[in-house]
Amino acid sequence: MSNASLATKASPPASDISEPQPMRKRRGVNREGLEAGKRSTRTILWILLAVAMVLYGFPFLYLLFTSFKTPIDTIAVPPTILPREWTLENYTNALGRSGVLASFINSIQTAVISTVLSLVLAVPAAYGITRYKTPSGQVFIMAALVTRMVPPVAIGIPLASMMSSVGLADTPIALSIAHTTISLPLSIWLMSSFFESVPRDLEEAATVDGCSRLGALWRVVIPVVSGGIAVTAIFAFLASWNEFLFALLMTAIRSQTTPVVIANFQTQFGLDWGSMTALAAVYSIPVILLTLLLQRKIVAGMTLGAVKG
Amino acid sequence: MSTRNTISKLVTLGGLCTAVALAATGCGAGGPAPSSGGSAGSSSINVLVEAGGHAELTGVAEQCKKDTGVEANFVELPYDGMFNRLSSEFSSGNVSFDVAALDSVWLPSFKDAVQPIDELFTDDVKKDIFPALVKEANVDGHFIGLPAWTNAEIILYRKDLFEDAKNKADFQAKYGYELAAPTTWKQYQDISEFFTKDGMYGTDVKGAVETEWLAHVLQAGSPMVLDQDNNVVIDNAAHKEALDFYVSLAKSAPTGAAQVDWAAAQNLFNQGKTAMTRFWAHAYRQIPADAPVAGKVGAAAMIGGSAGVAGVPGPWYLSVPKATKNTEAAKKFVKCAYDYNSMGIDSKLGLASRISAFEKYQDQPGYESFKPLIETLNAPATATRPATAKWQQIVDTVLIPLLQKAVAGGDTSALLADAKKQVQDLLK
Repeated sequence: MSNASLATKASPPASDISEPQPMRKRRGVNREGLEAGKRSTRTILWILLAVAMVLYGFPFLYLLFTSFKTPIDTIAVPPTILPREWTLENYTNALGRSGVLASFINSIQTAVISTVLSLVLAVPAAYGITRYKTPSGQVFIMAALVTRMVPPVAIGIPLASMMSSVGLADTPIALSIAHTTISLPLSIWLMSSFFESVPRDLEEAATVDGCSRLGALWRVVIPVVSGGIAVTAIFAFLASWNEFLFALLMTAIRSQTTPVVIANFQTQFGLDWGSMTALAAVYSIPVILLTLLLQRKIVAGMTLGAVKG
Repeated sequence: MSTRNTISKLVTLGGLCTAVALAATGCGAGGPAPSSGGSAGSSSINVLVEAGGHAELTGVAEQCKKDTGVEANFVELPYDGMFNRLSSEFSSGNVSFDVAALDSVWLPSFKDAVQPIDELFTDDVKKDIFPALVKEANVDGHFIGLPAWTNAEIILYRKDLFEDAKNKADFQAKYGYELAAPTTWKQYQDISEFFTKDGMYGTDVKGAVETEWLAHVLQAGSPMVLDQDNNVVIDNAAHKEALDFYVSLAKSAPTGAAQVDWAAAQNLFNQGKTAMTRFWAHAYRQIPADAPVAGKVGAAAMIGGSAGVAGVPGPWYLSVPKATKNTEAAKKFVKCAYDYNSMGIDSKLGLASRISAFEKYQDQPGYESFKPLIETLNAPATATRPATAKWQQIVDTVLIPLLQKAVAGGDTSALLADAKKQVQDLLK
């Protein structure tokens, strides 16, 4: 309920102006009660929001603080949240390790290619499914969802063998294709829900103005769902950016991505928490920047689905 | 209109990014690397190592390039993912590496995928490698891996506490013998009990790892889990005795023993929470300089039971896959790793596999853990883990749950009897 409607309901009608004082007082009390209720609701919401932020933010903050701890501080029993002594040694160790820079570039390459592939395939697929609504389209979209139920470990080894047999072993393109298999089904589902929320009248109007169907899609529909595309792109990018298993099975010297390099700080004979957290903290920066950059589009994308129908 | 412009810009930018990324995709940022699928007879090889092993072989690789012209490119993988990767590549018959560093427990699993390297095991080589490792490297009559480095559990103890005059006097008064690094189970129990006071514990008990209990089984005079004919002997008297000893230490150890693993035990000791630990020898040289126990730690050989001192070695072997096209260069590298084995001692892990390499350093300051390590590895009762491809499965599904239930107070006889059935089922 909007503030305006609440205000309208709370205001006395003109015919009540001559009502006796006690009744007006009661109305005033009601208004105060309503506002107090709104205040307490807002307070509860803020508290819930703060709790959610702590739940989501604390692990990352702990990782960040750990990356500035000395070696003995990282393994303190009981653990401390803030470093007792701040140091950049972990960052020096992590970034100075051979292959780290190359792994960053590989991660970016892989994630960008995988995101573009996902969008290029998901947008027309989702558009076709939502606009034509053929039985085969409905089967296809359900089948796409079913592929999400197959554990990646079940297809990882055969996929690695296939890539190797077609000469793509240890290349970012092989890993990107593998990552696209993860993100594509959900990208299609996400884009379908966004296309559903766009009224067909818009396209029909564009057609009347002389657009072809493809032209209407390109000039009218896609700009309307750009927020949804941003959300889907972020999802696809993150799925590739954080993926570990396929990267482990399919990369070696040329295309190893950073998640594998981060995991390399755990060896059979020890775990270098400091360097591991330092590299993880650095690795999270591009994702944070990307999210900030696309923040408005993401919010637009979220509300796009909300006004469906 | 502005939205359309923004979209156009985004699309253009995306297109450019893709073009750049695709252009660079021909070879990833790691640079063009020779693969085993590349030219035969190449002098450049790929070496697959667990992340901790890279440093061990870096010096060797440099020296090998100078001596033989063979250049090694390392593929580093985390320990937890290595087995899957090796399985994947070996089963496909198309490997991306020419040499692989294999954990000893994997040798039986990959015996058919790697080449015999019998010619590298000369008499001199066999004499300079610990007997248990020579035995383990030989699978079905052929040597299939040359040990690159090895480890074993030894005793690390708080020298400052052991040398403290009051502690010495109190211990003597209570137990009737002098406080010193333990050599027997009884001494280990007594000392653990003695130091469990004032918020400190005498030792740790690791319920999440099996190696330590298995070392006690060897010390009690039995082979581990399987005898030489692959009969399951996990319920024999020695296993029960070793398990009872292991569990008896729980009262002198921090609570939550069922979840304590290597990392937790190492942390507890480095933080000064435990007076002793049975731990891999490399940990002695990895105590952080700012740890409360830095400079206060002594090392001793593993304790002994009725069969004497014994430990379970933790070696890594260099093997050459059958599928490599660079066999000659790969074998040259393996030979280099043996010839320059002592160079690994200067690495962060600080281990080697040759007896002579450890002996070269054993009297130098900072390497006090090497004498106890040599003693433990040379002990007659020391033995490697059973050569079965199912070993890791036995560990994960039978031994660890068994230990966790035992340290939590389970009936050890019943647990061992149950474990026997489970192992037999796994081996069927």
